[in-house]
Amino acid sequence: MGLNTPALAYDAFLVQLLSSLALFAIIAVLCLQIPPIMVWVERRGPAMMQRRKGPNRVGLFQWRFYGLLQSLADAIKLIWKEEVVPTGANKPFYHIAPIFAVFPAFMIACAIPWGADITVFGHQIPLSVIHLDVGFLFIFAISSLAVYAVTLAGWASNNKYALLGSLRASAQMISYEIPLGLSLIPIVLIFGTLDLNQIVLAQGAFPWQWGIIKAPVSFIIFLVCMFAETNRAPFDLAEGESEIIAGFHTEFTSTKFAAFFLAEYVSMFVLSCLAATVFFGGWQAPFVPHDFLVKTFAGFEWVASLIGAGVLFLKAAFFMWLYVWVRWTLPRFRYDQLMGLGWKFMIPLGLANIFVTTLVCAFIYFK
Amino acid sequence: MGQITIFYILAFLATACSLLVISSKNPVTSAIYLVCDLFILAGIYASLQAEFVAAIQIIVYTGAVVVLFVFVIMLLNLAPNEQSSLGLKLPDIGFTLLTVLSFLIVTVLLVNEQSSVSGGALGPPEAIAQLGGNTRAVGMTLFTKFVWPFELASFLILAAIIGAVHIAKKDPKPADKAYGNLKASNREKAIYGSP
Amino acid sequence: MNPYIPVLIVMIFGITIGGALSGLAYLLGPKKYDKVKFEPYECGVPIVSQRDKMSVKFYLTAILFILFDIETIFLYLWATSFRDLGWFGLVEIVIFLVILLAGYIYIIKRRALEWD
Repeated sequence: MGLNTPALAYDAFLVQLLSSLALFAIIAVLCLQIPPIMVWVERRGPAMMQRRKGPNRVGLFQWRFYGLLQSLADAIKLIWKEEVVPTGANKPFYHIAPIFAVFPAFMIACAIPWGADITVFGHQIPLSVIHLDVGFLFIFAISSLAVYAVTLAGWASNNKYALLGSLRASAQMISYEIPLGLSLIPIVLIFGTLDLNQIVLAQGAFPWQWGIIKAPVSFIIFLVCMFAETNRAPFDLAEGESEIIAGFHTEFTSTKFAAFFLAEYVSMFVLSCLAATVFFGGWQAPFVPHDFLVKTFAGFEWVASLIGAGVLFLKAAFFMWLYVWVRWTLPRFRYDQLMGLGWKFMIPLGLANIFVTTLVCAFIYFK
Repeated sequence: MGQITIFYILAFLATACSLLVISSKNPVTSAIYLVCDLFILAGIYASLQAEFVAAIQIIVYTGAVVVLFVFVIMLLNLAPNEQSSLGLKLPDIGFTLLTVLSFLIVTVLLVNEQSSVSGGALGPPEAIAQLGGNTRAVGMTLFTKFVWPFELASFLILAAIIGAVHIAKKDPKPADKAYGNLKASNREKAIYGSP
Repeated sequence: MNPYIPVLIVMIFGITIGGALSGLAYLLGPKKYDKVKFEPYECGVPIVSQRDKMSVKFYLTAILFILFDIETIFLYLWATSFRDLGWFGLVEIVIFLVILLAGYIYIIKRRALEWD
């Protein structure tokens, strides 16, 4: 591209800066909408499964919106609640623990590619805010910081249930990070890159080209680790409300509680997006190749990218529903079962999976 | 803003965090400053175009090693109210600063001398780009030029595994062993007797 | 554009959002002091200090996590350059994994991962 003159280079810089700011704003607003909507889904979904009604009262005048406004009412109520900092809590850490929870969740949300590159004023803009050379190792790096939110929250609360919950949760999160890492190595072997957008492009639009067909065992391991990493049922021992009240966020009230809630749902959403991106073709619409879309909307290529973003959102929405579905279907694991599953089953399975994939790839690529 | 400026800003922050690590009274505070410190160090690596090293720095050091430190602090039962006497006094800080600075100066001198002779192990940026990015360049170098250190690293990890397990896991007493071999359903009977 | 500028932007805004949520709790909402209300939530169980010993298993889990994490990183490094390295790299990584597998078997044999 002709970016040799300083004026043009400055122009490109400005366009890219503004577009990444705009993209971040969109993603941040989207992420802030996820908890209210998911709370509604998590109430209406099981209500549907259990033949109950679920929240259906809060509405605007005569319109009820299927109780969707209940979440809004809850949010407003939560904001105006009193903050109760327990006596003997470690104040500085009590106040920064929610930041440690929210910050990694938002950072990894920005590393997901939402569509093909678009052209703004003659400059190519990738549809992910953060795109680094290390690819999804960046996601692992940042998500490993989430452990501190849990540990600090439990430790600073000066409550033994909170401390127990935080220890359980952090041990669980670090244990399942290993199989999570191992499960994506076959993907790197098959597609030969760490870049998420290139993995999407390599997968193509047809389901038999997707990661799920090429590395099915990886997908199973990834799915289990997804649930364990976000401390969701059936691995929600960190919360275990029948034993330790609510785990590490027992003592958090008002918007601090909301921050942990937000972080949990955003990381669920990001892992759902990651699963869709790596195993289900990402933003590629099934059976509709991207080139075809670009040709159809000639002159308006951004429409094709927008469709891609919508497709990825729908794929991620399926996994979000899966979270709810599993939560109301499976009972909670026991802690020794959870750790046993992670260390004694998932790690050997992950290694065996890598070994088999390697052999197959070796016979395909080494000729 | 040049690379040097970024380096000085990050280096200043990293030094400040390091000083806070050793001067905080509360061990958990120290651990959190250590997290910040290592995060900033990752930033320095990233500013030197060593993205892969930066990622590892965060994954291994911030995400794993300091987690272990935090666990150990909790294991030693240092409750938030009880401040241990790990805090350093001003002369100590001065002394530490002096040591660190002199060490740094010597290291910088040594490294400068070496790098001016041999260049980085990966070669200039153009060579890295030709290899297909930083991660692949590190991989290619590690698995061809540094095969033996890599294989020896596995022995190091093996030794660490055996050491950790041996220290943490005492040999079970015969009674415990018999208990451990029981199935979960029979364990309750072993404790409470059969109903 | 330097790819780290977006990272910086996201970091600043991420911390701002977290800080805002943390700070709003203090700014909004009533503030009434009540001794019992500010006690740790204990559900009727008498308050004990946090001096009870934590299980050494958490510590062991953290150590083993570091070691296996490093192993995973090496595997990523190898996987990215897998096609260029060929059979030579494959043999290397198999030797590496076999040595680590010995450690894993030791862990299992010593029942170090039993949570009983």
